[in-house]
Amino acid sequence: LRCQHYPPLRALQASAALRRVSDEHKKEPLTSQQQFDPHPDGHQPKEEPQGPHPSYTGQGGQESEDYESEEQLQHRILTAALEFVPEHGWTAEAIAEGAKTLGLSVAAAGMFHSDGSELILHFVSECNAKLSELLEQEQKLVQLGKAEKKPTDEFLRDAVEARLRMLIPYIEKWPQALSILLLPRNIPSSLSLLTSMIDDIWHYAGDQSTDFNWYTRRAVLTGIYNTTELVMLQDSSPDFEDTWRFLENRVADAMTMSNTASQVQSTGEAVVQGLMGAAVTVSN
Amino acid sequence: VYQVFESVAKKYDVMNDSMTLGIHRVWKDILVHKMNPCPGTLLLDVAGGTGDIAFRFINYVRSVRERQLQRKLKHHQNLSWQEILESYQKDKFNSLGDSQVVVCDINREMLKVGKQKAQHLGYTEGLSWVLGNAEELPFDDNKFDVYTIAFGIRNVTRIDLALQEAYRVLKPGGRFLCLEFSHVTNPVLSRLYDLYSFQVIPVLGEVIAGDWKSYQYLVESIRQFPPQEELKEMIEDAGFFKVDYENLNFGIVAIHSGFKL
Repeated sequence: LRCQHYPPLRALQASAALRRVSDEHKKEPLTSQQQFDPHPDGHQPKEEPQGPHPSYTGQGGQESEDYESEEQLQHRILTAALEFVPEHGWTAEAIAEGAKTLGLSVAAAGMFHSDGSELILHFVSECNAKLSELLEQEQKLVQLGKAEKKPTDEFLRDAVEARLRMLIPYIEKWPQALSILLLPRNIPSSLSLLTSMIDDIWHYAGDQSTDFNWYTRRAVLTGIYNTTELVMLQDSSPDFEDTWRFLENRVADAMTMSNTASQVQSTGEAVVQGLMGAAVTVSN
Repeated sequence: VYQVFESVAKKYDVMNDSMTLGIHRVWKDILVHKMNPCPGTLLLDVAGGTGDIAFRFINYVRSVRERQLQRKLKHHQNLSWQEILESYQKDKFNSLGDSQVVVCDINREMLKVGKQKAQHLGYTEGLSWVLGNAEELPFDDNKFDVYTIAFGIRNVTRIDLALQEAYRVLKPGGRFLCLEFSHVTNPVLSRLYDLYSFQVIPVLGEVIAGDWKSYQYLVESIRQFPPQEELKEMIEDAGFFKVDYENLNFGIVAIHSGFKL
């Protein structure tokens, strides 16, 4: 059923570095990355690790059924490059070292932008994927009755802490990464990654709102996350205790604020009803 | 083609400057910048006769290496003086960080001029000069990190063979870079460019190098060369992935890049 007529040259040349997908199946399949594909260039839909490899119709409509796509190779290079970030920073050098460990030439780093943006975006999306897997597992435990459902403030606190802890190995070079993420070129991708992460946390926290609350909740949590991240960058306390305390306070503030808001609302309603009653009495 | 370049070799650089009004230097700088080589890269510069790309590559790698060493020194704040001295000595003899360029050209005269230039400018290490044909390179498979051909692929009779050879000698992950005159996209500029090419360049050739015919050939070969998209397809046919091109000066010159994946 698949087109068997390959252009002659391509068929004879086995790809030098793109591995057969079957090799990848031997490794542990990557967790659900479907929702978090941030690649600024070339939005190919992520395929499942198992199942048939969808045809990669790249150059000239040719299909390479069994070989991984360029995107997957790029992912592998970026993942390998993360190891070198503490030493080289979020740069093309780290990517070049990563490519070396995969047996590729250092020139392969030329596939990416020279300022390391893709590396950072890749890292962020990987962290987000890990977070959502964590939250998914927690939810399963609750559903199975093996764990208690946490109150909202504790849930939010734990989720944000878990996500920020993933930065710890790279914390030294993280300011550099943040500044690169703020470049105009990268803002669409970094912003979408951030919002989808916040969205995810609220989803697992059980937020089902469809009204204006949806926006306020996301805005509040985004604010909490960003400020805590910044505090973390200059925190030198053991195991970042100061950061977690800051986080706790901010979440508590947010809770109080929302309580106050709903209290104000109910008080307001009560006042209005009282006035209406008075008006009716007077008119009679 | 051989005779064209034999006669042209000595005046090559001067003619380049006058024909392109010096912009060719910028084009070559952009090429090396796009390459962004890190220390330890092995470059093969084909048809690179007079060594322009090679020298730029060496300069670039040297400055990157310096920055690397500076960064390393900053990290060494806690070491003893003895240790710092040792690491400094070790690195000082490695100013290129093991990077190397092999300049390959089919024309002995061009290579000779290149070697003289290198000596004159003081490039002593990291350079090799090899006589060879782009369609049949005298190198083993999977050797080089980057393969460049600047303004040379136009003169190759069988471009597809040259591309296949490029694929062969590159390591997996290696990069193919081609800098070449290409087709101008803008119609207004295209007319001006044609005027300049056919009227001015052969005249310059006669005046400066005493050779009308070679430069007439040059201008005609530029027109005959396949346009950007076609060259891109040829590169893909040779087996390269992630092939794309960048137009410089509205298409007067284009840089094609591909990876052996």
